[in-house]
Amino acid sequence: MKKGLINFSTNHPVWIIMIIIGFTALFGWQLADIRIDTDPENMLPTDEPVRIFNHEFKEQFEISDFLAVGIVNEEGVFNAEQLSRVYHITEAIMEIDGIVAEDVMAPSQVNDIYYEGDIMVIDTLMRRPPQSEAEAQQVFRRILANPILKGKLASEDGKAMALFIPIESKHESHRIAAEITAITDSLGGDETYFIAGLPIAEDSFGREMFGQMIFSAPVAGLIIFILLFVFFRNIRIILPPMIVAMTSIIWTMGALVWAGFSVHIMSSMIPIFLFPIAVLNSIHIISEFHDNFKKHGDRRKTIEHTINELFTPMLFTSATTVVGFLSLMTNNIPPVQVFGGFVAFGVGVSWLMSITLNPAMAMLLPESALKNFGTSGEDTGILARIVKAIGRFSARRYMLILPATAVIIAISIFGLMKIEVNDNPVKWFKSDHPLRVADNALNSHLAGTYMNYLIFQTDEEDAMLDPAMLAYIESVQNHIAKSNIVGSTSGITDFLKKLRLEIAGHGDSLYGLPLSSMEAAQYLLIYDKQNEINKLVNEDYSHANLWVQMTAGDNQEVSGVVNSANKFIEENPAPYELTTRWAGLPYVNIVWQDKMVSGMRISLLASFGIVFLMMAFLFRSALWGLLSMLPLTITIMAIYASIGYFGKPYDMPIAILSSLTLGLSIDFAIHFIQRARATHRRTGNFAETYKQIFAGPGRAISRNVLVIAIGFVPMFFSNLVPYITVGSFFFAIMTVSGGVTLILLPALVTVLKSRLFPELKKNN
Amino acid sequence: MKKLLVFGMVLALAIFATATLSAADATEIMKQSHLAYYYSGDDGMAKVSMKIVSKSGKERIREFTILRLDIEDGGQQKYYTYFKKPSDVSRLTFMVWKYPGGDDKRWLYMPAIDLIKQISAGDKTASFVNSDFTYEDISGRHWTEDVHTIISESETVDGKEAYLISSIPVKKYKGFAEKKSWIDKKTNLPLKEEYYDKKGELEKIFSADVIEEIGGFPTITQRTIKIIKKNKYTTLTFDEITYNTGLGDEIFTERYLKTPPRKYIK
Repeated sequence: MKKGLINFSTNHPVWIIMIIIGFTALFGWQLADIRIDTDPENMLPTDEPVRIFNHEFKEQFEISDFLAVGIVNEEGVFNAEQLSRVYHITEAIMEIDGIVAEDVMAPSQVNDIYYEGDIMVIDTLMRRPPQSEAEAQQVFRRILANPILKGKLASEDGKAMALFIPIESKHESHRIAAEITAITDSLGGDETYFIAGLPIAEDSFGREMFGQMIFSAPVAGLIIFILLFVFFRNIRIILPPMIVAMTSIIWTMGALVWAGFSVHIMSSMIPIFLFPIAVLNSIHIISEFHDNFKKHGDRRKTIEHTINELFTPMLFTSATTVVGFLSLMTNNIPPVQVFGGFVAFGVGVSWLMSITLNPAMAMLLPESALKNFGTSGEDTGILARIVKAIGRFSARRYMLILPATAVIIAISIFGLMKIEVNDNPVKWFKSDHPLRVADNALNSHLAGTYMNYLIFQTDEEDAMLDPAMLAYIESVQNHIAKSNIVGSTSGITDFLKKLRLEIAGHGDSLYGLPLSSMEAAQYLLIYDKQNEINKLVNEDYSHANLWVQMTAGDNQEVSGVVNSANKFIEENPAPYELTTRWAGLPYVNIVWQDKMVSGMRISLLASFGIVFLMMAFLFRSALWGLLSMLPLTITIMAIYASIGYFGKPYDMPIAILSSLTLGLSIDFAIHFIQRARATHRRTGNFAETYKQIFAGPGRAISRNVLVIAIGFVPMFFSNLVPYITVGSFFFAIMTVSGGVTLILLPALVTVLKSRLFPELKKNN
Repeated sequence: MKKLLVFGMVLALAIFATATLSAADATEIMKQSHLAYYYSGDDGMAKVSMKIVSKSGKERIREFTILRLDIEDGGQQKYYTYFKKPSDVSRLTFMVWKYPGGDDKRWLYMPAIDLIKQISAGDKTASFVNSDFTYEDISGRHWTEDVHTIISESETVDGKEAYLISSIPVKKYKGFAEKKSWIDKKTNLPLKEEYYDKKGELEKIFSADVIEEIGGFPTITQRTIKIIKKNKYTTLTFDEITYNTGLGDEIFTERYLKTPPRKYIK
C-alpha cells in the first residue's frame, strides 16, 4: 500500500490533484446547506430527562426564559424623572416582537394590592409616569413591601432596579437585546442600563464564537504560512501544507453538513483543531524533503526516501490522534460525539492528503523552482545549532534531567488535585465584555439574574393550600436562603402571605401563612391576575413552583445550593408524599456539565490505554511503548496541573482539549523513537544515531513546535475565554511535548540504551 | 362628459350611503346581540357549573349560583354570585354593580376570615375566579366601546345563518385589538367570537355550544372560552335557568353577602 501510494502520487500527480479538487468541490458544495446551532442546551440529547422536564415545567407554570434589564444610578433611581423614563422604555419594550408581553416584570406592568380609602385595588404598581417625588417614592416602597417583587425589581438601597423581559424563544435573545439597547440608548438618561441573563450570554456567545472562527482560522493560517516561509524559503513548497489543511477542513465540515448535523458551538471548533494537526504531517514531510534534497539531488528519489522514512510514524501519529478524538464518541453528549467523530475523520483525510498531495505537487514543480532548495549536509542555521545543543545537553546532563522530571511530576500531581470542575457560560466572555459587566452590576445590586426553580409535586389536589405543606415549603425556603448566592426565593407561600397581609390584615398587620386551606383557596379565588398565580402553583394546587433566584451562576455554586436543598428535603419529610425536581437554565447547565466532565475522564483514560497498546505494537516493545507515552503523560499532567495551580476552572473547553492534548503530544515521541530505531538499525551505532536524530527529526520537531505554538498566539487576544484557552493549549502542548521529547527522551534513551538496543550489548 | 360626472357623483354618494348604512347596521346588530345575550328579561338566575381544563387536561369544577337584575335595558345591572363548590370556597360571594361607561363596583365576602371587602374593578380583562373567562366575558362589553363593521352577511355557523362583524376598540385596549363575531340572524346571539391581539394573532375563541329557548328567551346554556396559545379552556354550563322571577333590589346589597337569600339559594 505504501509503495502503491507513493508511486501513484509521483507518477500521476495531476490525477491526485484532480481527485482532490473534485472531492473538495463536492464537500465544499455541501457547505451551502450549513445550519448553525448555538444552544448549549443541545449539549444534551433532546430526550434527556432534565430537558424534557424543563420543557414540561415551563409549559405547566407558563414560565419563559428572560432577559434582565438593569438600571443603575449610584445617586438612586427612584425619582420621578428616572421612573418616567423607565415607564416609557417599558412601553417601547412591550412593542418588541418575540417578547411575552403579559409576563413582563416592570413597575408599570406588575400588579400590586393597595387601598383607596376602604376599597381594595389590585392593579398595576405604577400606572402612569410618577407626577411627583412622593409618587416615585411610593413605587419604591410598594416594591420593597412585596416579597415577590423585592430584590427583583428594586435593590434595597434604591440604587438599582431591573425589568425582567420574558422571551418566546431564547434563540432570539441577541436580537431582542439589541432592540432593547436601541430603546434605552434613545430614551435613557444619566442612569446606566445593562442587559444580562443566561439566554443572552448563551445566544451571544454562539454568535461571537462564529465571528471569532471566521477571524482566527485565517489569521492562524497566515502566521503559519509566514513561519513556514521563514524556514523553507520557497512558496511553492510550503503551499501544499496550507492546501492540505484547508481542504481537510472543507472536506470535514462539508461531510458534517452533508450528514445532516448542524454546526454547534463544539463543531465550530473543528477548523481550529484540524488546522495544526493537518499542518504537522506536512511539516515533517517538507522538512525531511528539505534536509535531503541536496543529498539526493533528484526529487523523485528524495520524495521516495522521505515518504518511506515518514510513512510509519505519520500513520501512527495520525492514528493516535484519531483514537484520541474517536474516544470522544463514547461521551454521551451528542455535540461532543459529532465533534470527536468528525475531527477524527478530518485527521484521516489530512493524513491521506499529506502523503499524496505533498509528493504530487513537488513532482509538478519546474526544476528551476528547486534550484536553491534545501540544505547541504551540515545545517548551520540558528535553529539547527540550538537543536544540536539541546541534543548534547540531553545526553550529558541526564543526571540533572531525570530528577528534575521526577520533581515536575510530583508538583504536577499536587496541581491535578487542585483542579476544580466549574463552568458558567457568562464567564466564557472576558471580564471586560459588556455582558460580564452587566452580570456583575446586576448581581451585586439585585437578587440575581440566575433563575432556578424548585418544583414540589404531590398527587393530592389542594395539597399546596394546606398550611402544613405551606409551612414545609417555607422551611425549605429558609434553608435555601442561607446560601449567600441566593438573592431571593419566592413561591406560593410568599404570595399567600402577601394576600393575607393585604386582604385580611388591610395592609398593616397579620403577616404570615393562611391558617386553613379554605383561607388560602379563597385568597386565590379572588385574586384575579391568573397569570401570576399560574407561575407559582398548578391548576389543581397539587404542584408548586419555588423561584430560586441566584446572584451567581457558576455550576459549583448552583450545585451547592441544589445539593444542600435536596439534602434538607431528604432529612425533613414533607406532610405529603412529595417529589421535588429542579428546572431552569443554570440547572440544565450543571447537568450537562456533569455528564460531560465524567464522560471526558473515561474517554481520556480509555484512549490513553489504547494509545499505549498501539505504541507497544508499533515498537514491538513494552519498554519503548512506555517511553513513548512519557511526553504525552507529562504534557497532560503539566498542563492540567497548571490549570489547577492557576485556579482556572475545569470547564467545557478545557475538558474537550484533553483529547487534543493526547492526540498531539504523542506525535513527536513517535517520530523521535520510530526514526531513532530505524536509524540505529541502519547505522548500528548509538552515537551516530543520536547525531542524525537531532539533525533530521529533531529539527522537524522544533519547526513544528514553533509553527504551531506561534501560529495560535493571536487567539490569546480573543474576547472569548474558550478561544484564549484553545490558543494557550496549542502553545503549551507544542512546547511541553516538544521539550519533553527533545530533552527527557534522549536522556532516558542514553541511560537505558543497553536495554533499548539489546544488539548494542552483543556488538560490544 | 357632464353625464358621466353626475353618474360618478351619484355612484360615490351611493357607495358612501351604503357604507354608513352598513356601519350603522353593524352597530345595531351588536347592540341587539348585546341585549339578547346579557339582558334577557328583567332579571334572571341560574346554577352554573364551571369546568376549567388546563393544557395537561386536568379539570377543575366550580359551582355557583348567579343572580342578575337589570336596572335599565342595555344599562346598569347588578350581579350576585354565590359559590357552592369546591368546598373550600363554598359560601364565598361576589357582587358586582355594573355601570356601562363607568367603573363597576365589586364586593366580596370571604367566609374563611368572615370578611366583606369592596374591591376596585378597574381591570375588566382580569380573570373571573381563576377561569379563562374575564369579568367582561361574564357581564358583557358595551357595544359603544368598539367600532363595528360588517364583514359578511352570509356566514353559517353549525347550520345557522349569521352576520360576521369585526369590532375594533375605540380606545387602545388590552383585551383585544380586533374581535370577530358571528351573530345569529334569528336569535341575535353570538355564536362564535374570535379575539385577535395587536399582531393579528388569534388569542382566544368564544363559542356558544348549546342554545336553548327558556321562558321565551333564546339562551346560551353552554359556552366555552378557549385560550389558543396556552391550549386551555373553560366551559360554563347553565342549569335551572329562570327569567323574570321578580328578584328584589335589596338582595344586591352588602347585607346579603354574608347571608345569601335563602329563597333563591339553597
